[in-house]
Amino acid sequence: MELLEVSNLTRSFGGNVAVDSVSFRMTSDALAIVGPNGAGKTTLLSTIAGVLHPDHGTVRFRGRDVTRFPPWRIARLGMVKTYQIVRPFRSLTVEENLKLFDKIRGRVDVDRILGVTGLSEVRGQVAGVLPFGLLKRLELAKGLAAKPEVLLLDEPISGLSRSEARDLLESLLELKRSGVRMVLVEHRLSEILPIVDRVVALDRGRTIFDGTRSEFFQDPAVRKAYLGSEDVGN
Amino acid sequence: MPTDTAPSSDLRRRPVGGGIAGALRRGARSFAGSARLNASRLTSPLYLGALGVIIVFAYLGSGNPTSFFALSLVLSSIYITLALAWDFSSGMTGYLNFGLPFFFGVGALVTGQLYATDSHLTPSSLAFFSFGVGLLGGFLFSLPTLRLRGPYFSLLSFLLPLIGADFILAFWTQLGLRTQGYYGLPFLGATYGDELVLLSAANVAILTAFFLLRESHFGLVLRGIRDDEDALGSQGIRTFPYKVVAFTLASGVVAFSGATYAMVYTFAGVDAFGFAFILFPILIVIVGGTGELFGSIFAGYVVILLYQYLFPTFSDLTLIIFASAAILLVLFIPHGLVRQLRAFIRFMRTGE
Amino acid sequence: MAGILAPIVVYGTLFGLTYVLIALGFTLLFGISRVLNLAYGALYMVTAYMIYYFAVELGFNLLLSVAIAIAIAIGVGVGVFLICVRFAPDPLRFLIVSFMFALLLQYLFTKYFGGQSGLIIPGLFPVKEILIFDVSVSPVYLVTAGVALGLLIVLWLWIEWTQYGRTIRATAEDPETAALFGIGVRSIYLVVVVVSSALVAIAAVLIVPAQELTPTMWIEPFVIAFVVSVIGGLGKFKWTLPAAFLLSFSQFIVQFEYPTSASLSDIVAFGVAIGFIVVLPQGIGGIKRAH
Repeated sequence: MELLEVSNLTRSFGGNVAVDSVSFRMTSDALAIVGPNGAGKTTLLSTIAGVLHPDHGTVRFRGRDVTRFPPWRIARLGMVKTYQIVRPFRSLTVEENLKLFDKIRGRVDVDRILGVTGLSEVRGQVAGVLPFGLLKRLELAKGLAAKPEVLLLDEPISGLSRSEARDLLESLLELKRSGVRMVLVEHRLSEILPIVDRVVALDRGRTIFDGTRSEFFQDPAVRKAYLGSEDVGN
Repeated sequence: MPTDTAPSSDLRRRPVGGGIAGALRRGARSFAGSARLNASRLTSPLYLGALGVIIVFAYLGSGNPTSFFALSLVLSSIYITLALAWDFSSGMTGYLNFGLPFFFGVGALVTGQLYATDSHLTPSSLAFFSFGVGLLGGFLFSLPTLRLRGPYFSLLSFLLPLIGADFILAFWTQLGLRTQGYYGLPFLGATYGDELVLLSAANVAILTAFFLLRESHFGLVLRGIRDDEDALGSQGIRTFPYKVVAFTLASGVVAFSGATYAMVYTFAGVDAFGFAFILFPILIVIVGGTGELFGSIFAGYVVILLYQYLFPTFSDLTLIIFASAAILLVLFIPHGLVRQLRAFIRFMRTGE
Repeated sequence: MAGILAPIVVYGTLFGLTYVLIALGFTLLFGISRVLNLAYGALYMVTAYMIYYFAVELGFNLLLSVAIAIAIAIGVGVGVFLICVRFAPDPLRFLIVSFMFALLLQYLFTKYFGGQSGLIIPGLFPVKEILIFDVSVSPVYLVTAGVALGLLIVLWLWIEWTQYGRTIRATAEDPETAALFGIGVRSIYLVVVVVSSALVAIAAVLIVPAQELTPTMWIEPFVIAFVVSVIGGLGKFKWTLPAAFLLSFSQFIVQFEYPTSASLSDIVAFGVAIGFIVVLPQGIGGIKRAH
């Protein structure tokens, strides 16, 4: 029984099919969902997390069908999604942002999370005034506060400078080592691929690749989608 | 292209029981926990300051038990209770509850009817029973309506005071109520001075209870709801039970307040459903700052005393002035005068 | 049975048509601003009192008074819109401000026109009643229904068949996407404000001559507008008509079955609204969550 299994997930908006019969299983510790703009990555993640409901298909978490569950219930079961456009609780302090989740799924070790995400120094600051880089970290910290088994990360490093991104990815790697599984949606391939084991690539809503990281760059379909042709740069 | 901020299309809810019981348990636990750990919070300067203000006014007013000043303070206490209830439920969550006058009126009328049925009932039992009815009514109303987003909830709550008066006027014979109202209700206390002391004590209790809840995990979630309710959901917090508990409590307190109002004036009638009982609490909270609770104490006395003393001069123009002032305040000083003052003081001191 | 049915059908239809007018303005406005405006009902009251002021107190010609009153109502609506644009309060604050504004108007009219003193605007039409299906109906209601129907047809034609009308509807149904397409949402907003203010003002002109003016009369049209929108789905036009009729028929059925001394129409409206929320939170057409 895999942790996460997605089958034939389809979701349209009006006439536009954003996610078209996507299926994959999470068989590794870290999975990346990649693809060009408009490929449907965010929609896919939102559907898995229960924020959107699919038109067809199922999502199974730990063998349980969670397709139509509301987001809070999926999060309670252990699958938590963070937002690409950060959504901190602006009038609360950093610490309070985390304390919110205390005892929802067990005691929250606020100090440890602050440490792992590098937010210890600003723990007493009101979230609304934090700079963008720290808000991205807070987004990750909040996700952790919900004590997830699987973290669904929606573009965790978007908008960050290369060095900021590197630091955040270090934190993610540490988390991976400590046992938190993750699914990342990201654009910036070269930076996140080193920390994931498997990749699912989407193009225009469809899966065009599902395999290991090393297989990813050689795959002709992937090359075609990204580079416009299978033969370029081979 | 829709982003992940698209709303869940599933507006149906699971059966409510486990959620509410769970929230109550958690609330009670966190209340107890916070009462232990946060007893130290009761030394917070704002809390002590608010206590001080209440005590000072109670003392001043009880000195001259029949004066206009004492009555004004009594009125202030009643409106402060309303402001506290509004701030705790609406101010903290961002779900504006215009239904306050409904529960206020219910509290008054329940008191009237009970006393008419059995004149041996004491004021405190009348008030307590009204509190219970308020709790029940608030709970029943919250269940279907808090499933909706804030503004829709607000509009439905807006309907409540309207139908309250209508309902009674339409069915008064069947229900055995009196549309002219109930006269001769017992005084809350023998004099305005006494009433003031009792109401001030009630205010202290309510302030303390709300303050402890606010500082607890429960209050944190309420403030989170105001900031971003969906984000709470996506990380495992089901907000519905928290909202229901907050509004149920507030409704109970408001009904209690309505009962005391009826007993101060020894009259309970349909006028208790008036919009004044939502306008002034909102104004008080705006002046004092939303979500703080303490601001309501200071602002309450200021606003009501000001109104009382301006009224002889301006009569019905006073209401117009206050409504206009309220509008201007909301537009120009939305965070409340008290917070603005504090920011100003901080600016003068530190230059930031 | 026909004895009860006929009045319900007749009055239900007549009132239903005016409800549609009121609700359409509200739904248009909400669709484009995504902000709930309690002052909408106040425009209804403003129109009524201004007609009274000009026609009765100042003795102007009735039609002129009506025109001036509608213009003033539109002016107030635009004024509120401009304040909203200039100070851009968030939806919560705007809700409070619009509520207080309506209250302020209530207090002002109480002061300058007195309380419930039975002020009546002279009707535009003859008062002698006529019979429809054996139900005695005042011509006022008939003309009201006729004008309402006419207006609705015009509106519908405009929104469905003209380019500009279709743009307005698209923007009202999804302002964000419209903005993405480069549509000047703000100028459309202004047009919508004018149109919706006019709609509610005209509704006032039509209905009010049959009733007394009271300073609390801003509440009723707002309640109708809101409840019809809840039933039909906020921001959705297709369902406004059936929703309006659902409400008006419910109200008249209750009124004829349980005649009481006071009007139960508010309670029915509330009950219908709650019923829909519990059973069908999306409304018939689909409620959109406010941000």
